[in-house]
Amino acid sequence: MARPKAKAKSKAKPRAEAKPRANQKPKVEKVIPLHMIPNVESEVIKIGDGRYLQSNEAMFTFYKRSKGEQSPYFLALLEKKRILGARCPKCKLVRVPPFEVYCPDCQFEKLELLEMPDTGVMNSTPPITYFANSLFAHMVPFGRGRVMLAGADTAIPIHVYTTRGVLTPRVFKKNTPVKVIFRKNRLGKPTDIFAVPLSEVPEKLRAKKGVEEHELDWSQSAEPPVDKPTPESEKSFKNVLAAFQAMSKAVTKSDRAKKDLSGWKRSIQVKTAGGNFLINIGKQNLKVKPGKAKADFVMVANNPKLFEDWMNFRDSLTNAIIAEKLWISKNKEFTTVFKLDRLPRSLRRTLETSELVS
Amino acid sequence: MEEVGIVGADLTPCKGRWVELSYYGLSQLAVKKTLEDAAIDIKDVDAVVYGIYNDIFEYSAIPEHPLHGIIGMANKPGMRVTCGGATGAYAMLAGYTMVKSGLYDTVLCLGVEKATDCFDFDSMTSTPEVIKSIGWSGDTFYERELGWTASDSYAEVVLAYMDEHPKDLSDEVSAEISAILCQQAQNNKYAQRHGEKVTKEMAMNSRYVVYPFKLLETCVYTEGAAGVIFANKEKTISMCKNNGKPPIWITGVGAANEHHVVGKDFRHKVMHRIYSDHLSAQAAYKMAGVTNPLKEVQVIELHDAFIKQLQVTMAEFGFTKLGRSDDLVKEGLMVPGGPILVNPSGGLTYAGHFVGGSNMLSCWSARRELIDKQLRRGMIHGTGSTIAQYGCVMIMERRD
Repeated sequence: MARPKAKAKSKAKPRAEAKPRANQKPKVEKVIPLHMIPNVESEVIKIGDGRYLQSNEAMFTFYKRSKGEQSPYFLALLEKKRILGARCPKCKLVRVPPFEVYCPDCQFEKLELLEMPDTGVMNSTPPITYFANSLFAHMVPFGRGRVMLAGADTAIPIHVYTTRGVLTPRVFKKNTPVKVIFRKNRLGKPTDIFAVPLSEVPEKLRAKKGVEEHELDWSQSAEPPVDKPTPESEKSFKNVLAAFQAMSKAVTKSDRAKKDLSGWKRSIQVKTAGGNFLINIGKQNLKVKPGKAKADFVMVANNPKLFEDWMNFRDSLTNAIIAEKLWISKNKEFTTVFKLDRLPRSLRRTLETSELVS
Repeated sequence: MEEVGIVGADLTPCKGRWVELSYYGLSQLAVKKTLEDAAIDIKDVDAVVYGIYNDIFEYSAIPEHPLHGIIGMANKPGMRVTCGGATGAYAMLAGYTMVKSGLYDTVLCLGVEKATDCFDFDSMTSTPEVIKSIGWSGDTFYERELGWTASDSYAEVVLAYMDEHPKDLSDEVSAEISAILCQQAQNNKYAQRHGEKVTKEMAMNSRYVVYPFKLLETCVYTEGAAGVIFANKEKTISMCKNNGKPPIWITGVGAANEHHVVGKDFRHKVMHRIYSDHLSAQAAYKMAGVTNPLKEVQVIELHDAFIKQLQVTMAEFGFTKLGRSDDLVKEGLMVPGGPILVNPSGGLTYAGHFVGGSNMLSCWSARRELIDKQLRRGMIHGTGSTIAQYGCVMIMERRD
């Protein structure tokens, strides 16, 4: 059951910070985020001579889901900030997390729970997710790897983070030493813990048990500066603006590109060494104008040519961020970046199709 | 034990979204076309096996039940198989087994999947919701709540392989394979990306989905349906005589599912291997008498969820060595005119991946190559579940 201890505490003595302020709705997290739920609606789709009906629907089921025999592991995370494993008394294999009660290799000998250390190494290089499932889109980019804790024979699935900015593939590799860190607000879930490189943990905390996230230094990298303009970067900047105008015109003639931007509205302040410009996405198109204004988020790219490469299919904005050639102020705006990254391909496909037709 | 042959196979066009047909309509269309290919009546079919991966895609917990009557199989046996990405291959294994055992003479395998009805109203696109729907397939206690996706799961395996073999799986080779598959898809009228031209450079420069997988080296989400009909020796010979197509015989099958937890040895998943592929291929080779696949198999339709995984799987199958999968291109093993024809349909990357039936698309394509190009032996493959746990292989031969 979710947070039984916390619930009991809450009844006995509500915490001050849990009380809603006047005129403020209590902050309650729903199992389905409310913003994800569409209205009851239907629409007619026309394809050729056919008319087809489609409606907004949802397949949902609510649970009071028991964690059963897995409970000791999650209770230990929640209540004691400890990680449990299970050892077979016969073959001595140590499984972490303790995902089974009996050892299938030893005629189902009953396993013994034991406390594990909170340091280990990456079992292999972890993947980094940029295009996530809709429930996790706000968290990208994030790493999900497997840590082999000291003394364990199986690896624990876990989120991996760096305390030093956006996660890139260079941070974690196979055998990178890591320490498991605990969330301050734990729910008895796998997300109660995550791993960071041991090298990013201050010496005084490395041997400490149950280190919480707020004990680490999470100061983010600030907006990077751009170089002073040069004739070359200014020329490139002009080329980029012209290319954007051409792209905007092409989008109006591409159903694919219009669909890519459908229902999306964003303003982006772009800063480059050649100058600044604003991208406004809306009404199934994008418009660009030079200058500065208040925007939903900021992109910084020292070299404006990066945008030319993107429009000409020589690079993608996503890959430029990963390569640290492009900086964005809000990670959650990767959704916008993905939409932009679709455009060059959609325009090319429209062009190819029209050439085929002609 | 009975000998088992394929007497018919066909499919619907593969599309990113079928607004015009529900999965009922797709199923009817695929069955109609498959029966026409076999030149038999549905009354000649004794049983049906449904390959349908994901309840959520079909919006039903028993998605096969409304199909049984509308494909003309009322009052006959029917069962559903679901095995992640390998659903189609496992459904065919079940259909094959029914005939091989002598229980039924003629069995239809029908694979169908919707996917992109799922829609994310936040981003106003389908893909994040499709990924979420697949995300419900991950381990419910330890992985799903970490944002598990099919892409990052296979990426874990490939990255671990790259840890062991850092000089293999170069981006250039993966991009070239993608371009080869795109070219081959132009010979498949059903392919989702028929008419699209993807060059090596475009694949190289496409954005990452999950590091190290790039968009144009990743299979597409597809809606569609496919059918394959298996029959015993007597029926195969008589039906093929009637439809004028050579019998294609199933001479080897193999399947293996690995542990879902990663560990230090093969009692658990060893992350840098796709041992399920290795074991399933070895079992199929043994049954079919194959000792050197590169010399004895002419065409393979391999489940290319991701191009780099295709490369690892080819090494696990023994077409090249582990750590030398770049030889598929560098040594010309799978380039046009090379010794092994890989995914002539365009594979799941370009033809399409309607999960429950895409391995049946592979079967349709390999059979087509054996018939049209008069090749002797082909091989089809399905992979699935988290960290490439499931593997299923089938070897088919032409004897005339």
